[in-house]
Amino acid sequence: MKKFLHSLSLRQVILGISAIVSFLVFLVLFGIAGVLSRSQLSQQMAARWSPDGDMAQISCFFSQNAEVSHDNIEEFRHSIDGALTEASIEQDSPNANARLWADAFSAGGRISVTSDRTTIQANALGVGGDFFLFHPLRLLDGAYFSESDLNSDYVILDEDGAWQLFGSNDIAGMMVYIGGEPHVVAGVVHRERGRLQEAAGLDTTLVYVSYDTLEKYGTNNGISHYEIVMPNPVKKFAYNYVMEHIGVSEEDREILENTSRYSLKKRMEVVMDFGLRSMNGKAIIYPYWENVARGYEDIIALLTFLSMLFLLYPVLLILVVLVILWRHKTWTAKSVFLFLQDKAERGMDRLRVSGKEKKEAARAKRRRKKEYKDKFDEEEEYDE
Amino acid sequence: MNENGSKRRDWVKNAAIIFLAVMLVLTFFSNTIMNYSLPEVAVQYVQSGSITAQIRGSGVVESDDPYDVIFAGSRKVESVMVREGDTVQAGDILFLLGEGDSAELETLQQQVDAAQDNVDAAQKNLDSAVNAIEKAILEGQISGTTAQHIQNGVSSSLSSYMSRVSEADAKVADLEKQVDEINVAIGQLETAISNLQNQGAPDVSAQQAKVNNAQAALNANKLYQADADIANYTAKINERSAKIEQYEKYAGVSGGDAVSGITKEEYEKAKSELSTYNELKKNAEQVKNGATQADKDEYSRLQSELSKARTELSDAQNWQPGSIAAYQRDLANWRSQLEPKQKELQQATEERTKLLNEISYEMDGGAGLPGVSGNITELREALSDAKEQLQKAQDKVDEERAKSGGTSVTAPISGTVSSINVTAGHDTSEADPNPKSGGYIVATMMPEGVGYTMSFSVTNDQAKTLTPGTQADLVNAWRYDDVTVTLASIRPDTQNPSQQKKLVFNVTGNVTVGQSLSVQVGDRSANYDMIVPNSAIREDSNGKFVLTITSKATPLSTRYTATRVDVEVVASDDTRSAITGGLYTYDYVITTSDIPVNAGQQVRLSGN
Repeated sequence: MKKFLHSLSLRQVILGISAIVSFLVFLVLFGIAGVLSRSQLSQQMAARWSPDGDMAQISCFFSQNAEVSHDNIEEFRHSIDGALTEASIEQDSPNANARLWADAFSAGGRISVTSDRTTIQANALGVGGDFFLFHPLRLLDGAYFSESDLNSDYVILDEDGAWQLFGSNDIAGMMVYIGGEPHVVAGVVHRERGRLQEAAGLDTTLVYVSYDTLEKYGTNNGISHYEIVMPNPVKKFAYNYVMEHIGVSEEDREILENTSRYSLKKRMEVVMDFGLRSMNGKAIIYPYWENVARGYEDIIALLTFLSMLFLLYPVLLILVVLVILWRHKTWTAKSVFLFLQDKAERGMDRLRVSGKEKKEAARAKRRRKKEYKDKFDEEEEYDE
Repeated sequence: MNENGSKRRDWVKNAAIIFLAVMLVLTFFSNTIMNYSLPEVAVQYVQSGSITAQIRGSGVVESDDPYDVIFAGSRKVESVMVREGDTVQAGDILFLLGEGDSAELETLQQQVDAAQDNVDAAQKNLDSAVNAIEKAILEGQISGTTAQHIQNGVSSSLSSYMSRVSEADAKVADLEKQVDEINVAIGQLETAISNLQNQGAPDVSAQQAKVNNAQAALNANKLYQADADIANYTAKINERSAKIEQYEKYAGVSGGDAVSGITKEEYEKAKSELSTYNELKKNAEQVKNGATQADKDEYSRLQSELSKARTELSDAQNWQPGSIAAYQRDLANWRSQLEPKQKELQQATEERTKLLNEISYEMDGGAGLPGVSGNITELREALSDAKEQLQKAQDKVDEERAKSGGTSVTAPISGTVSSINVTAGHDTSEADPNPKSGGYIVATMMPEGVGYTMSFSVTNDQAKTLTPGTQADLVNAWRYDDVTVTLASIRPDTQNPSQQKKLVFNVTGNVTVGQSLSVQVGDRSANYDMIVPNSAIREDSNGKFVLTITSKATPLSTRYTATRVDVEVVASDDTRSAITGGLYTYDYVITTSDIPVNAGQQVRLSGN
């Protein structure tokens, strides 16, 4: 090794070190891109829904012209089970109440919320389905609500709204009035902060209410988003199903598969779309999480692109070295074979001489380890 | 070599010390360091207790059977004697009213006046019609019988009308015929006279031809010729004899030729001609004398024929068919007849027209007669109607006066005043009008012993959890005093019967109609062994689950691991859910975490 190092010229050393550094930079950038892609909880529903990787999360965004109603969504929901049965997808979970798919929709708007202290006007999301399953906001207090709850008069405030209305985050179960009707605060969530998040629409108080409440007591801008997590036995099965059955004309909708949106292929597509991505021919307003996700899409694509550049340098260098070595080779295939044979035989001899005792010791150690583990497992079962 | 060896040992020793020191530090701080990388979770322990699934909703309090106090008229309210919520007895004064008739009464009075005017007008019409009929009798426009018919509103039968009309028609037609005949005769006479006056000489050519023929036949007769020759020659002889005599008279006188005008030559010629003519005359006389009787008969016959023809010609030339004078006499006679006949016809026609008019008047009940404005029966009916209207209007006025007169409005029933719709100083007409029987709803009362209700719609799923008879709690109960709300019935919601149900509640206590109440209602709470916060319930494609904390003590610290336990949610309220599953009371379940936690993942408890 020393000899090898000594044999290198200063230029070769510099090139070698720079190649290693470049490779390290590639690893770091690629790693950061990976971490960022997994940081978007709203995009990870499929993985949360089933760890087996056989689910896909599909999001649809609608323009106001689409005029999607609650009834449209009910209609779509009713069609899903039949389609899944047709595709021979059945629930195989031992839990009788387990669902194959879950969905959520939301509509933007404004709403006026009154507590005993004050009244605030805030942006509101009227949500339906299991919205918070898809968007697990960090709860500071209370719980989420869903469409299947007995009452639909729940409100989730962000910490800002909670502060304004009550001066506290510990307010789950308290009563607020929306349109004169009492509503129960189900929980308080943390509002994400950051450059992207604030630009995406999280710069003011946001109140989450049921779609019914928004429709009845607030200014409803119409359902602009629907998403579903459902089995995806073959690639694009879920995507195609939603696209064909959502029942909104193409110019008024945008459908994407969240599950694969940060895959290497998609990242490269974003890079290739450079310049075109800024163009938009549809009157669609994205909800904040989609805006954030698109922001991250850009960042991740850029990081991936840069990391690829940093990978290119060591790869090229290795290729050049290999070509040079090949040209100046002093060995033949036979000499390599003999050398390897000689090494192997020597190794075998060494093992035979000194390995017997060591082997015994190792075996004994493994046995002890196993015994200890079995004992612990039994205790644990007993505990349960 | 030794030096090298000791150097290497130093290096190894130093490296070992540093390594051990680092390991020691890491060991002491491993917990802290590791904690930074672990998700921080908040936990709660599984409790036992009760859960009441409650439905919330809001409705408006209504009266079961509200009683509207209706005031018929529009009067100024002087003062309001009760307040909303007051309990009053039947007959208690609710409002004091200002002086004066109500606007309605005045309107009704105006209607009475108008009805009186109508009656007067109708009476006037009838009177003038009767007068006009009498006048018509006097003027002979109608007969007394007809007038009686008109007066009594009866009319003769159609056949009687028809026979009278046809009689008149026949008379007129007869007279017209006679007049026409006279006119025709007059026309003919006038034409004849005019023809005679315009006629020229009559056509006598036939007679003339006859005369000519007879003359020709006569001329051809030898006796006639002889007579003619004799006469002719005699004349000539006479002439010549005269001439000769004349000449001879002045023959001796000089210049006698000039006096007699006859020259000698002429004298000579006359002498010779005289002898010739004498000769010729002699010949002719011989013919005449030598004629036979037949010749003489023939001659006289021809002469008589010529004379007859000449008479005929003369007759023809002088023929006239009577004389114009005789015609004109006839004409005058006819004309003298025409005038009285025409008068007679005119009279008959007038009588017929009168008859027709009379019939028409009779049939129309006098309408059409000058001064009669309509059917007399109708006029009588109009008068009676107008009188009836007047009576009705008068009755209304009396009724209104009975209702809205007086100086106060009293409570018609005993009960609670639930709303007052008028204010002192304002008119009762400012209250809501009563759609059923008119008037204004000046107050609403709750009759004694009648309760309040309240209702709102819920989904079918919500309705399933409820049973009638359950007492509901008021949201913000501290706002209300002594109010009880009980679920009375669950009915299909008529607005959306397939998906919604209507909950109807009985409300008792200190409430008023129109007040909005928010209530929550649920069946009696049930006890459950395992209750967790709602935020502890998670779900994925394998169903609902909770993450419990399992701990393992290590020499330095306790490690906590999240473990998945599948559960079933059996009941929920706003904050907690009752579950069944492989858990024990006082197990810890994860409620929230700063980053997502997966089953099997090591976690740290918040605050640790």
